[in-house]
Amino acid sequence: MSATESAPLNAVVEEPIEPAKPVTHAEAEAKRPSDNAPESPRKARSPRISWLPKKRTVDQSRVDELTHGRKALLCVDSVSVSFDGFKALDNLTLVLDEGELRCIIGPNGAGKTTLQDVITGKTKPDTGSVFLIGDDQDLTQLREDEIAQRGVCRKFQRPTVFQGHSVFENLELTLPGKKRVFSSLFARLTRTEREKIERVLEIIGLKDEAQKRAGLLSHGQKQWLEIGMLLSQEPRVLLVDEPVAGMTHKETEKTAELLNGLAGEHTVVVVEHDMEFVRSIAKTVTVLHEGRVLAEGSMDAVQADPKVIEVYLGGADA
Amino acid sequence: MSDEKPAAKAPAAQPKSPAPAAVRLESVLSKRGYLSFAVLLALSVAIVPILNGLPPDSALHLPDYLVTLFGKFFCFATVAVAMDLLWGYAGILSLGHGVFFALGGYAMGMYLMLAIGDAGVYRSKLPDFMVFLDWKELPWFWKPFDNFLVACLAAMLVPGLLAYCFGFFAFRSRIRGVYFSIITQALTFALMLLFFRNETALGGNNGLTNFKEIYGYSLHEQGTKLMLYMLSAAGLFVAFLIARFVTTSKAGRVLRAIRDEESRTMFAGYNPTNYKLFVYTLSAVICGFAGALYVPQVGIINPSELQPSNSIEMAIWVAVGGRGSLIGAPIGAFVVNGAKSWFTVAMPEFWLYVLGALFIAVTLFLPQGLVGALERVRVKK
Repeated sequence: MSATESAPLNAVVEEPIEPAKPVTHAEAEAKRPSDNAPESPRKARSPRISWLPKKRTVDQSRVDELTHGRKALLCVDSVSVSFDGFKALDNLTLVLDEGELRCIIGPNGAGKTTLQDVITGKTKPDTGSVFLIGDDQDLTQLREDEIAQRGVCRKFQRPTVFQGHSVFENLELTLPGKKRVFSSLFARLTRTEREKIERVLEIIGLKDEAQKRAGLLSHGQKQWLEIGMLLSQEPRVLLVDEPVAGMTHKETEKTAELLNGLAGEHTVVVVEHDMEFVRSIAKTVTVLHEGRVLAEGSMDAVQADPKVIEVYLGGADA
Repeated sequence: MSDEKPAAKAPAAQPKSPAPAAVRLESVLSKRGYLSFAVLLALSVAIVPILNGLPPDSALHLPDYLVTLFGKFFCFATVAVAMDLLWGYAGILSLGHGVFFALGGYAMGMYLMLAIGDAGVYRSKLPDFMVFLDWKELPWFWKPFDNFLVACLAAMLVPGLLAYCFGFFAFRSRIRGVYFSIITQALTFALMLLFFRNETALGGNNGLTNFKEIYGYSLHEQGTKLMLYMLSAAGLFVAFLIARFVTTSKAGRVLRAIRDEESRTMFAGYNPTNYKLFVYTLSAVICGFAGALYVPQVGIINPSELQPSNSIEMAIWVAVGGRGSLIGAPIGAFVVNGAKSWFTVAMPEFWLYVLGALFIAVTLFLPQGLVGALERVRVKK
């Protein structure tokens, strides 16, 4: 990781996008022969905005530099964010592999939430870029809904479901495709979509509650519903913020099971405080501190790291 | 129309549980809904002309002035449906819908002015107020309005276009909640000041009036008045059906999602700006339509229609009737306007107090409006 941190900042270039540049993708595609290539509709650029100034793209050599030898999916490249002089993220670089389950931990104010905000487009970083491998579009240039359509999905800390809608409708709304006004005005559920919703209902264990108003669910059920909503969104990257906060022991166990089941097919990023929970699910852990990556590795390695101990136990290091 | 297809589809898409809500919502109205819709439509359109046609000494005879009054009420009820679509379903409280109503009215008024021809006071081809202001020529934007169809289209397109432009900037800047309500108030106030000016060429503070005929039919004939009444009644039902089609579609569910959890909707891949813009524009078009039917019945359109208080009153109709049902809103419009007609005759000085008290009472005791209260009583039984 330390090698990438000292990489030059000018890796992101401002140049107009050619209509389609499969050539630049070629290497990246070659590394991953069979994966997401057929999912082209997600990558298709909205035609309505084609007259707007071209959006910043990502330089391929920088991509190779960050991801060589790994099956990477999402790169956060040298991102800095400051609020009124306070550096929430400080030149942070993070590479997520395909299908991995990554836990991000860190003390309060380490930048965990800001990191998610940057990836999902809620916060625009001062410098740096975020991109998906195989798509040269810099995500920091896009709106929230455009990023979501590219398969980067987010679960909020507070369970955020559509309270007035039924469980079934909640899942229907997050299905991919048909997001434009006029297509949704005349949209009708297809058989495959219906089956998909049924499948998700089964995974999250809310089959019997399908017609219940989501507002009437218990706290834990809402959390699962939200995870289900993300699932029906067919995400490539799933950002999950404190999924077990306020859950009972049993619910926590079930959530761990759910998240473990998701990894592999999707890249899952879990931000969590509960160390016990992190230990039960994590393979790789990233520790953030003051907007930077402090340590990265297996849970045991990270816990043995003196820097991490210092931050967590030593408290104020000044 | 599109309302037929979902009904046909519903049984096919029912593989499992007996009454899945998602399927029921797929259809615009249930079978019983369509039936009651048709019955109500026939009743509303037919009963007033029939009662009006009875001999004057009959106990059930409806005097002529009430025909026009009911026609007006139906126009207001149409506006209420448009308001409810926007406020009840998308959570956008516009306090400037009088603008769109008035613009539709002005478009129709311009046609009616030109239809007077040289039968006006000054025996000139120009509308009277222009002769009075010593203008020699018709302003350019008046010229297309001597065509009835152009005027009808403009009555809907001009409000729609204004709503689209205004909404585009407002929603793109993520202005919402009370801030949006306040700038819509400012919009209607600004337009009122603009329309008061003689230079705007829309009749200044007198507005447009003294209409004689519409599409060749004299406006003083009872037959024309009945026809306008029936159109207004049918218009309400058309507006209701359009609104209902939107709210029962997936777009309607997205709108409710935006109302409840805007950022979640955004992270689900929807662009709230476009949805809000769509429903705001549609709502404005419906208001323009209602305004165009309103003006030939009342015989005048002037800038007082643009008073901020008029737009607020529209919101009160919806609040009284109950929002988010599309049925409550027109009921609220009938109740409030009926009360207004009675009070302004019986004790005119008290009407504003009554209106204020009504609004407070509804907010405190009937947060779901009249329809919500009825629903609650029915559930209790």
